[in-house]
Amino acid sequence: MLTLLQIELKKILPYKTFWVIFGLVFLLIPGVFFALGQVNPMGGKDMFSFPNVWNNLTYLASWFNLLIGMTFVILVCNEFSFKTFRQHVIDGQSKSDFIVAKILLMVVLATASMLYIFIVGALFGLVNTDNSAGLTEGIMYVGVYFIQALGYMSVALIIATLIRSTALSIIIFMLSILIESIVQVIIGIFSTAGIENYFPMEIIANLTPNPIMEAITVNQQAMQAGMQQPGMPPPAPIAEAIPLSTNVYIAVAYIIAIWGITYFILTKKDIK
Amino acid sequence: MYHKLYKLTAILNINGISKTYGKVKALNNLSLQINQGEVFGILGPNGSGKTTTLGIILDVIKANSGTFTWFGEEPKKESRQKIGSLLETPNFYPYLNARQNLSIACKIKNVDDSDIDRVLDIVNLLTRADSKFKTYSLGMKQRLALGAALLGNPDVLLLDEPTNGLDPQGIAEVRTIIKNLAAEGKTIIMASHILDEVEKVCTHVAVLKLGNLLTTGPIETVLSKQEQVYVVADDLNLLKVTLGQIDGVSNIKASTSKIYLMLENGKDSAYLNKALFDKGITLSELGVQKPDLEANFLEIIN
Repeated sequence: MLTLLQIELKKILPYKTFWVIFGLVFLLIPGVFFALGQVNPMGGKDMFSFPNVWNNLTYLASWFNLLIGMTFVILVCNEFSFKTFRQHVIDGQSKSDFIVAKILLMVVLATASMLYIFIVGALFGLVNTDNSAGLTEGIMYVGVYFIQALGYMSVALIIATLIRSTALSIIIFMLSILIESIVQVIIGIFSTAGIENYFPMEIIANLTPNPIMEAITVNQQAMQAGMQQPGMPPPAPIAEAIPLSTNVYIAVAYIIAIWGITYFILTKKDIK
Repeated sequence: MYHKLYKLTAILNINGISKTYGKVKALNNLSLQINQGEVFGILGPNGSGKTTTLGIILDVIKANSGTFTWFGEEPKKESRQKIGSLLETPNFYPYLNARQNLSIACKIKNVDDSDIDRVLDIVNLLTRADSKFKTYSLGMKQRLALGAALLGNPDVLLLDEPTNGLDPQGIAEVRTIIKNLAAEGKTIIMASHILDEVEKVCTHVAVLKLGNLLTTGPIETVLSKQEQVYVVADDLNLLKVTLGQIDGVSNIKASTSKIYLMLENGKDSAYLNKALFDKGITLSELGVQKPDLEANFLEIIN
């Protein structure tokens, strides 16, 4: 396991493309976050203070998680376009070594991103929090952000393994959200069971809920609860009804399933 | 008979392997045994199934049927780590230099990084060890791939068209490297479509065509290296009949103007001339020809 990770690091540490993308992501996240605070009508202080900062920051960072997923597409596709995956098998790796190595790599990248988000969030929060809220309040959003990063990179892994061409894989990865939305709409027309709310990209995206929507939902639910008359049925749940904890479980299940399917695809195909 | 007393150690055993790509039959029920110390050439024109065979025994291509064993064991990744392989094109990370690329191969093969300079020296790349792979010429890339195959000084080498893309000097260098390795007693499996290459370095050969094994065995029996004698007389028919009666004459073949034959060891053209003269035939021409491997090979594959 350790050897597999060492090999992965030998591949990416000298890789300029990788550093440029990650450098940009790490620069832009606090930069954009700060800028948004300046144009926010509610004022930056509210946005940056504990506990709000965790939800706000991870929601913003989730857009950059897509970029990290794309970087992962490049890293995996490289192994096919340079034919180094084939060479590794020839030299004495197994196909499962390949999957395990990529999973280890995504765990490392997701951990690094999570730690970075934690540091950025903590700094913004410590500077801007006047009330009694502590640093750990709402910190679970950072953990959920980690799972989201794993989720996007897992989707990247399976798309890259299936398609193998870098350019096409990136396009399909980008479009997967759009394609999923179309399928969701179509299923929504024919089915009332609500399964369209459980599609993988949506589940992964919803791990970092939109803070504005959250606020609206909470307000509406409170209002409806307040207006509820005795004897009336409880109000129907509105958008983003899946609780975050359920969302996390489903996302983890998707991630593990994607790893398994990727392994299955690899073992079925010849390595060209 | 001496060699029969030896128990030959099989390095690789291939048992009835077949592979189809769609409708194309790439390999048809191929069986081969390669023993320790052999320099085994897999010879055949393009598309004959050489690379498919090597791909299967290296576990990157799945056979439709058949089995194979390395070192008498079921194939596993540990056996591949003990084999130095160069399959088709050199595969490296273009943005890494030679040392960084070989260091990755070392980790996979469980070889210490200190072996890198040794192999770079063998393939003459030490001076360019810190240049990125993408700056290499085709010949240098090929030599780096050969160097990677040599990491850990493996006892078995598997080389697919090892001189591909090299200039004449590079070809000579690589052949010298292979010959030196063979002299060290290493088992070498080499695929090639270049007859000359196989003839110069191999001890054993298998000839493939369109996925079928045409013939296999020690190189001198498959590609006869014996010299050919040709004779001409006024009456070619009589000459041919008479030749058949002479001891030690074999493989008599008539062309329109000459008759070709082979003499067993220890008998020379003077012996033949005398024997024919004793039978009343005067030769108008008698000569010895170097063996024509090309013709020999074409005869096998056609």
